[in-house]
Amino acid sequence: MNKIVAIALREFLATVRTKAFILSVVLLPGIMIGGMLGMEKAQQFARSERMPPRVLAVVDETGALRADLEAQVERANAERPNQPFRLEWLPPGSADMAALVSRVRSGELYGYILVGPEAVEGAGGFTLGRKDNQLQAGRAIEEMVREAIYAVRFRVAGVDPARVAELRLRPVPVTELDGNTGGPVTSNEFARVLTPFIFMFVLFMGTFGIAQGLLTTVIEEKGSRIVEVLLSAVSPTQLMAGKIVGMAAVGFLLLGVWGGVGIAGARSYQITDIVTGYRLALAFAYFVPGFLLMAALLAAIGSACNELKEAQSMVFPLSLITVIPMVFWFYLAEHPASVLSVGLSFVPPITPFVMVLRVCADPDTPVWQIGGSLALLWASVFVAMWAAGKVFRVGVLMYGKPPSLVELARWVRYT
Amino acid sequence: MSDALVLEGVTKRYGQFTAVDDFSLRLPAGEVLGFLGPNGAGKTTTIRMVMSIIYPDAGRIRVLDHPNAAEVKDRIGYLPEERGLYRKMTVGDTLRYFGQLKGLRGRALRERIDASLERVGLQDWRRKRVEALSKGMSQKLQFICAVLHRPELVILDEPFSGLDPLNAGLLERLVVELRKSGSTVVFSTHQMNQAERLCDRIVLINQGRRVIEGRVNDVRARFAGRIVLIDGDGDLAPLARVPGVVDAHITSGHARLELVDGTPPNAVLETALRHARIARFELQRPGLQEIFVKLVGGDAAPAEPVVSGEAARE
Repeated sequence: MNKIVAIALREFLATVRTKAFILSVVLLPGIMIGGMLGMEKAQQFARSERMPPRVLAVVDETGALRADLEAQVERANAERPNQPFRLEWLPPGSADMAALVSRVRSGELYGYILVGPEAVEGAGGFTLGRKDNQLQAGRAIEEMVREAIYAVRFRVAGVDPARVAELRLRPVPVTELDGNTGGPVTSNEFARVLTPFIFMFVLFMGTFGIAQGLLTTVIEEKGSRIVEVLLSAVSPTQLMAGKIVGMAAVGFLLLGVWGGVGIAGARSYQITDIVTGYRLALAFAYFVPGFLLMAALLAAIGSACNELKEAQSMVFPLSLITVIPMVFWFYLAEHPASVLSVGLSFVPPITPFVMVLRVCADPDTPVWQIGGSLALLWASVFVAMWAAGKVFRVGVLMYGKPPSLVELARWVRYT
Repeated sequence: MSDALVLEGVTKRYGQFTAVDDFSLRLPAGEVLGFLGPNGAGKTTTIRMVMSIIYPDAGRIRVLDHPNAAEVKDRIGYLPEERGLYRKMTVGDTLRYFGQLKGLRGRALRERIDASLERVGLQDWRRKRVEALSKGMSQKLQFICAVLHRPELVILDEPFSGLDPLNAGLLERLVVELRKSGSTVVFSTHQMNQAERLCDRIVLINQGRRVIEGRVNDVRARFAGRIVLIDGDGDLAPLARVPGVVDAHITSGHARLELVDGTPPNAVLETALRHARIARFELQRPGLQEIFVKLVGGDAAPAEPVVSGEAARE
């Protein structure tokens, strides 16, 4: 037992002290936080960008919009003084597409607005042509024209548009509650949608990412011929157990750091409802067997190979399966109770990822599915450990050509 | 004295190839055994079976009175032929780690690390990483890693390969010290003079089979007397016709005769005295080197393994 601890401790320290690990621990939360802060900063920065006035040619076939549209432009320019619009009024009926297009091309115009004659009545609207595809500018122009048309309509109907604007300005705030608990929910929809993915991604890094380390260290020990020295002191089973325990500790550390950052982040953004104790507990419950399964598979593969290259081609099928929840995460999170989602929950190597996605997306994930998938996962852990132990015992001292799957099966059967 | 190591009829096959064939050996505790043989003779395979890293297809192995070396791992020190160290670990950490794996703890461990490093002159390298060591230094480190826990049985697979004479000399002294402290030592080597200097006994293996085994002196004595050197004035030619002489190189004044095993040299001497004035009559005591070359070099392993010394009498 002491020997397993000694191996685990060495494995843990050797991994934790590498630059790659330190970087990955710091980098990922760093990128996430940086991304969030960066978005806000980028928006501020975009607002302060100075642009010359963008000129829009207007051909107003209704002949009624001028005052209101000018008022709208004035309001928009007041909001974004660094990126103003200017209107150039052309007489109705003078729309010459070829001339407008060439003026836009030459850069003289940013775009043109052609308002149809029946726009106020509601038959036919307006045409907008512009130089680029910037979303924000397009929306702003559309809104200005629409608001101008509304204002004219109100006036025709005998309603004071200023009064309407004043009434509409009075806020109608909405308070969203968690339907299940009656407690508050995060107002940030983006964060809510992304949470299942983040949970899954962290779990993925903690299991597959860390267990990959086993693959590399086993191959390193084989390659540098340390393994036989080790095996004169400990049994292959002790060696494998120690390595897995050590790497599991690395995984815990990683999850601990990221989880801590996540909880602290959630507190500071007041979105604690998406990082609940229940979700953390479940993530943990799936992490342990999920990690052990990956670890057993990767340790066995590592022991059977002599070079990282060989190992990578053997890991490929496993990677292919683990990528499934990454690719379909949005579907799984949006349709957590669909047949596909439930089915994938019972595919052992990806069970943790799929289940964490589903549980985060749907608090009503049936208990039998949680219990059943955990039971299946643990059963596969025991089978994998048993088989991996056998492969490891043979493989770790085998040099030369890596075995085929058939040969691997033979090792399992005959040792 | 009990036996530290017993192998009886041990056989290991890899598919069609028989790596070790019906190999037997008995090593009393406290002795140093040289495990000799050409490349690919089966030395490493045998050692791995002794270490329970691989298992024999037939036969019985007892290590320190246990059927499986795994049960007595902490009492065995093993330096494999294929050996390595963690490159990024410091010298001190490496010793501590392997010491812990051999069941050492606390102060005893620290003291032994200090003493071992000092003994091989690596005390100033304790905090350096293994990758900074030269080949000779890392080989010394590997050696002290293997014997840090003062094992009763030490198994060294090619411990001297690639060492300069200075370091090889140091390791030889360490082997002698191990023997003095009561350890049983088995080491494989190609260097016969080394085996001659260090070993109480040798076993020679070729093509997986035991060719010769016994105390060094007995082995040499067994081959002594088979070569007779004679210097003298007179006609030495009749010596070639003496019964029992199978090979003779005779020049004027000198004869080198090879006798059939077990032939007493008296008849040769009597014939020589009749025909010449003898200046020298010597029963040559061959070195292990010659025995090795004789037994292995012909590439025809004898059908009946030659056994001498105590093992033969048992």
